[in-house]
Amino acid sequence: MASERESEEISVPLPSSEDASLQATWGLGNQLFVYAADRRPAKDTNGEGSDMGHTQSYDILDLRWGQDMHGPTTRKLINESHSVFVMLQGQVTSLSGSALYNQLKEASRQYRSIAKACSLELQLLMSNTVDEGEREYYGNQVELLETMQIIWSLCEILFIDIAPGEMVLVQLLNWVRWHFSAGREMAQDVINDEIPEEHPAYWEAIFRLLLQGEIERVRKLLSLHSCSQTQPFTSVEELLKKMPQWGNLRTVSLAEFDLKWRHWREECMRRYEEGHFTAFAELERVVQVLCGDMLVFSELKDYCETWYHLLISRLLYQNPTVRPTDLAFHVQACMEEFQRAGHRMGHVDNILQAALEFDLHQVIKDSSTSLGDRSWWFGAHLTDILHHCGQIDSQKLPFGSNLREYLLLEYVAGLMSHHSLWQVGVDYLDHCPVFGKEHMKLYIENLPLDSERKANKLIHICEERDLLEQVQSICKIMGVRCSQDGRLGSALSWFLRSKDVPAATRLTEKFLQDYKENGNFSHLDLLDHMGPTMLLTQQLTFLGKYREFHRMYQEKDLKGAASLLLSMLTARAAPRHFWVTLLMDALPLLETPQVILGTSQTYELMHCLEELTQDLTRNTPTSTTPSRASSTPTPQSAGTGVTAAGSSQILSQRDLEKLKLLRLALCRNLSRSIVHEGTIVPL
Amino acid sequence: MEEELLLREPELLCEARHPGDVSDLCFLTQDHIATASSTGSVLLYKHHTITQRVEAVQEWPDLHISGGRRCPCTCLATYGEDTMLSGGEDGRIAMLSPGQAAPVRVLEKADSCTINALAFLKQSEVLTVNSFGQLKLFDFRQNTDGPAQIFSATDDHWSLLCVDKHPGQLHVVATGSQDGTLTVWDLRQNRFPMTTLDAHQSSMWEVRFHPYHAEHLFTCSEDGSLWHWDASAHASLVASSGRPGGDEGPSGQQSPWLGLEASPKLEINSLICNKSLSVNSLDIEGGLLLCGTDSENIYTLSMPHLS
Repeated sequence: MASERESEEISVPLPSSEDASLQATWGLGNQLFVYAADRRPAKDTNGEGSDMGHTQSYDILDLRWGQDMHGPTTRKLINESHSVFVMLQGQVTSLSGSALYNQLKEASRQYRSIAKACSLELQLLMSNTVDEGEREYYGNQVELLETMQIIWSLCEILFIDIAPGEMVLVQLLNWVRWHFSAGREMAQDVINDEIPEEHPAYWEAIFRLLLQGEIERVRKLLSLHSCSQTQPFTSVEELLKKMPQWGNLRTVSLAEFDLKWRHWREECMRRYEEGHFTAFAELERVVQVLCGDMLVFSELKDYCETWYHLLISRLLYQNPTVRPTDLAFHVQACMEEFQRAGHRMGHVDNILQAALEFDLHQVIKDSSTSLGDRSWWFGAHLTDILHHCGQIDSQKLPFGSNLREYLLLEYVAGLMSHHSLWQVGVDYLDHCPVFGKEHMKLYIENLPLDSERKANKLIHICEERDLLEQVQSICKIMGVRCSQDGRLGSALSWFLRSKDVPAATRLTEKFLQDYKENGNFSHLDLLDHMGPTMLLTQQLTFLGKYREFHRMYQEKDLKGAASLLLSMLTARAAPRHFWVTLLMDALPLLETPQVILGTSQTYELMHCLEELTQDLTRNTPTSTTPSRASSTPTPQSAGTGVTAAGSSQILSQRDLEKLKLLRLALCRNLSRSIVHEGTIVPL
Repeated sequence: MEEELLLREPELLCEARHPGDVSDLCFLTQDHIATASSTGSVLLYKHHTITQRVEAVQEWPDLHISGGRRCPCTCLATYGEDTMLSGGEDGRIAMLSPGQAAPVRVLEKADSCTINALAFLKQSEVLTVNSFGQLKLFDFRQNTDGPAQIFSATDDHWSLLCVDKHPGQLHVVATGSQDGTLTVWDLRQNRFPMTTLDAHQSSMWEVRFHPYHAEHLFTCSEDGSLWHWDASAHASLVASSGRPGGDEGPSGQQSPWLGLEASPKLEINSLICNKSLSVNSLDIEGGLLLCGTDSENIYTLSMPHLS
């Protein structure tokens, strides 16, 4: 189908030159980002940079198509038909047989009434506006919707709302009456006039109504004539009264009705031939119509306005019990009548012809490509109903899915680039069994995450549909974005949400870095309340415990603080670069008047110290993250000391100095604790 | 009756363009409306009733920025006719006053995470909820940026998305979270909520007590449902059993919203019949309930027994 579409030329306001070429990347669905790019290959520029000269344009154009339904009024069409669609899909799975069939008919009517309501609203807007451009816009929209309705209702009659024993012509007459209301309006004018028969449109109204099978109204109009009591008029009145109407004769079969009708027509012909009506030429014409005379229809075709009206009018008086499949025989003749008179056949005519010839595929193809700006609303929804009715064979097309799914996917593509209608698109994708999920994954991965709220909505959508990878991906994007903006707290909450271990680890490093640089913790409201989530990664657990250590120290719970510090060191939970800080934190605990750290604990600390010193003097890569001023719980005002990655040798010197102090303090403490505990008995 | 229903149909009076999404909206005075925008600014609109126009009269741009980028302003709260508070994704709270171009006060480091909703308790006290599942109480009389109290909802840290205070009893507060749980808090207790109820199947976007009938609570959610929680039967049960001492609010009886889990008398009605897309926001005034959905619909529901 794609290759058969007409190609269209659109000019874009970008500068064109020898050096610049037009390039594009796909956006979401029916969206292209178009820009001018340097045609010359990069290596030719010789270090001058990509200099495009004065023709360079930095504009990126957002090109979208298939958006004619996205105006403020027609958006309602999309939303309302969405709810009908979703409900219908639910009914398809739960109902079957005649219950389902009724629901399908109901859905079809609802779609049409939605389109009608939209059209009425647009007409109202059109009459209220004075701007020419707007009027034209509204006018086009109204025309599009009216066209859709006419085609849809014909399809409904022929393909959806079918009843084998019923007379299809009745439905077709209703269709014609609904869409060609000039006759009724004229009749109303005529009736309201003082002397009806002298109204210029008197006979025209009668003929128009007659061609639409509005027998009651025709009788009424004829009765208003001054000579209505004369013989010819009463004769016609009698004929009209006796005309068999399908609605009145419900209980008979088509064959019986046909018999009655033929009988009645013979009566009409007999009276005509006997010359009952020669006094009034117009009356004669009326009876000629009743007899189904070919020539008179040709004369009256202007009152029919279109060939399909003519078709139905002729069939009413020539063959009312025609079967739907036989309609096709008469189409050509009617079309030719109008073509001879100079009418040209447009898209709509072709589509209606295809419908009457029962070529559904042609109908759908033509209506999708030639109605409006190729918005797929019509095709998608109609095909969905026809598919569930079983009218469209659901064989797989070459690219893997059936026609219904193809059209739905095209429809969705138009919706996804819209900032709000994408949610509607997602719901439609749920009902595309073959490709729906794949398309959804790709779309969701590319939807812009403008705010947390939108991200939450997307996550909910993904979770509902088991797209867990996408959930992780969204959380990661949001977390990294927050992290880059400096909102470490938000970033942490995103990583905890998705249980993203590597990202959480990197973030914790940042927190620790923050602490080392500033001497105190930021984001306390987060760190103090992490609860069991801190167990996600080792680093996070360490951070939580470290913060707890500080709290304990501040609350003067020195014993607890000491044992916590020790457990952190012995469990090797801390990252290596942080050990100096940790060990220096032990310093105040060693200098307190009372002994806090016992002998074994002091030995542990010394062991850790040894390990660290050996690492530092060996200048191993693990100590490449140099630490700055010591981070004792009482922060110093040392704001200087830029860390340089290459000079770890020099900084280790500083650290070694500090560690010397620490070793001294440890020894002193050891001696004190031995005395205190009395563990070594002097000989 | 038909005419009454027709009279209740909302009618569009006038409209104005708004930069970015409207994340929150409230009336400041009878004809001034404040909006929070996803571009990080707060706007004040005036509705001219005679000419039926609405236009922006003041804008506070770039209130919420992080990393040099504007980030969405997520919530608004008003007190009286001249105080507005805005909270954003940058964890900052700004106090604004109409007529003053610069914010009156800014709490830079109010929160480490996104602030999702704000509610005034009194003129100087404000409740906020954030994406880490914390309910915080801020006291403006103090000179710090940080909260006076922090309450945690659950250990899973599900975002709290909305908050509303009980109209009569100031210590009772309801919040809704991202997993659809309704939590009722007693602020006099320390740190932990009183009642937690599994409610909706996904994010609860808004929770509201009825301003005059506080035994009625309304919640709406991402799963497309709008629920009416009716604790009036429970309230009468509590009153009739005559609990001695304990928590007595100003009305002399224990609030029906505390200790709900033990009660079988909580009626919950779902107010929207057809499944729809997310219901994002609701408001109740007298006997009229309004809600807006993602299918670009506004529903009007009449609750005559609450008018």
